[in-house]
Amino acid sequence: MLEVIKSGPLSTIQDIGRQGLRHLGVSQAGVIDPVALKLANTLLSNNDDTAAIEVTIGLCEFLFHAPTNFVIAGADLNAALNDEAVYPCWRYSAKAGDKLTFKQNRDGLRAYLVVEGGFTNIDKLLGSYSTDLMAGFGGINGRALKQGDKLSYTPSTAKSSVGGLQPSYEKLIHFIPGPHLEIISNQTLSVLNDTIWKVNPSSNRMGIRLSGHSSLVHAHNIATQAVHPGVIQLPPSGEPIILLNDCQTTGGYPIIGSIIRADMRHLSQLGAGDCIHLKSTSVTDAAKESHRVQAHLNQLRLALKNKEQ
Amino acid sequence: MSDVSCYLLGEQAIVVNATCLPKNKSPINQRLFALKKWLDSSGDFVDVVPAKSSVTAYLKDPRKADAWQHKIQAHWQDLEVAEVKPTHHHIEVFYGKEFGQDFERIADELQLTPKQLIELHSSVDYQVQFIGFLPGFAYLSGLPTALQLPRKSTPITKVPKGSIAIADSYSAIYPSQSPGGWHLLGQTNTTLFDPNSASASLLQPGDIVRFVEKSC
Repeated sequence: MLEVIKSGPLSTIQDIGRQGLRHLGVSQAGVIDPVALKLANTLLSNNDDTAAIEVTIGLCEFLFHAPTNFVIAGADLNAALNDEAVYPCWRYSAKAGDKLTFKQNRDGLRAYLVVEGGFTNIDKLLGSYSTDLMAGFGGINGRALKQGDKLSYTPSTAKSSVGGLQPSYEKLIHFIPGPHLEIISNQTLSVLNDTIWKVNPSSNRMGIRLSGHSSLVHAHNIATQAVHPGVIQLPPSGEPIILLNDCQTTGGYPIIGSIIRADMRHLSQLGAGDCIHLKSTSVTDAAKESHRVQAHLNQLRLALKNKEQ
Repeated sequence: MSDVSCYLLGEQAIVVNATCLPKNKSPINQRLFALKKWLDSSGDFVDVVPAKSSVTAYLKDPRKADAWQHKIQAHWQDLEVAEVKPTHHHIEVFYGKEFGQDFERIADELQLTPKQLIELHSSVDYQVQFIGFLPGFAYLSGLPTALQLPRKSTPITKVPKGSIAIADSYSAIYPSQSPGGWHLLGQTNTTLFDPNSASASLLQPGDIVRFVEKSC
């Protein structure tokens, strides 16, 4: 059992998210960095749909009540096991009574904690373990973890430490131009490409709000249409919103682009005040990037299989 | 010229936009529901999401994007609209008093008696045009013109679960308590969304809803 001693600002149970229910208004939810989750699950020989604790910012503390192997992937939030540093994307063993703490790091926002075999006292709801904070279901009663929560797991014997290479997080994020660019102005694309965008403090799991250029203020609405994580909306304020996993399933703001799937993971690490560049790309190049990420995961799987045979 | 436009949003979402009313054809909404049914049955999509005047289909395999855009353009005019057989629902409503806090104000504003307001709202068939905003929150098209008025300028923070509301050209039922800017006419005891049930949402895109007055 893993006991939450301190929950931190926002720790939630997340897996790859809910798929196929947008037509019923159900958000995707799930990890914002699916690559981190896959790396962690691979290092623990877990199923791909094994859920993680998504730790935001840090400042939390967990107590292991039984032995297990675990991995933290994603940002380095200065984690420590009994005061000894724990690094992202390495497999560690914990004994009963061990304490895992997260401090704070300015380099990234979210880390993913996974235990071998996953947590056994949470059920899938609508095909996923993910917490939907807005709708209030999934994970533990649809809410963030709080002090005293206990997450069960099947105890496992200690394995040797092994690590995977985690691709770096970038502040240059690629997008495919969207359908409503021109209704704003014929300069929208170049403004998107040439501006240093600053992440606003009001950003959350629903979306990253950006500011940086005053020329995009407008008075257009579109007929409400389906939206999904990665879509860049432009509200009349002219400040773009990059939708994240907890976003609504439909929206009526003009759509000026979509972040490519391979770069979604970079968004998981953006916090208030961070500066990013957006760069337009093609669907073909986006597919190449997706393949590159998949190849990285495949290589890790293969390497582990050879090592642990 | 085709009355539908198709484009790729991101890498795997095909947006089909009905741009104008087809001549001598069935209503555009019926055609969009027929399109959803046809796309769902192909097995090539993770999800097919209708909205106000569009359908967005999420491909399992992004490499099929070009082929599907062509197929949709070609098939649009020949969709068999008659094949869509919607489910009909009767939703019981307690109108006014503590159940609908805006009921009397709306009656005044629209210069209707309470009886007329109830009759107008409950005498027509609504169709679930799309679901969004909240899980199971259905945008019901078909609101009589006499009842159409813009949303409140300031949303209230707590709309009670089961509230029956109107705004713009839609009626809706709040599946759970939430903030909201629609005008509240009444309330129902019917469960609209249950994440523990397999179908989750009582109302599905294309379904027909009729409100029935219930007195306590």
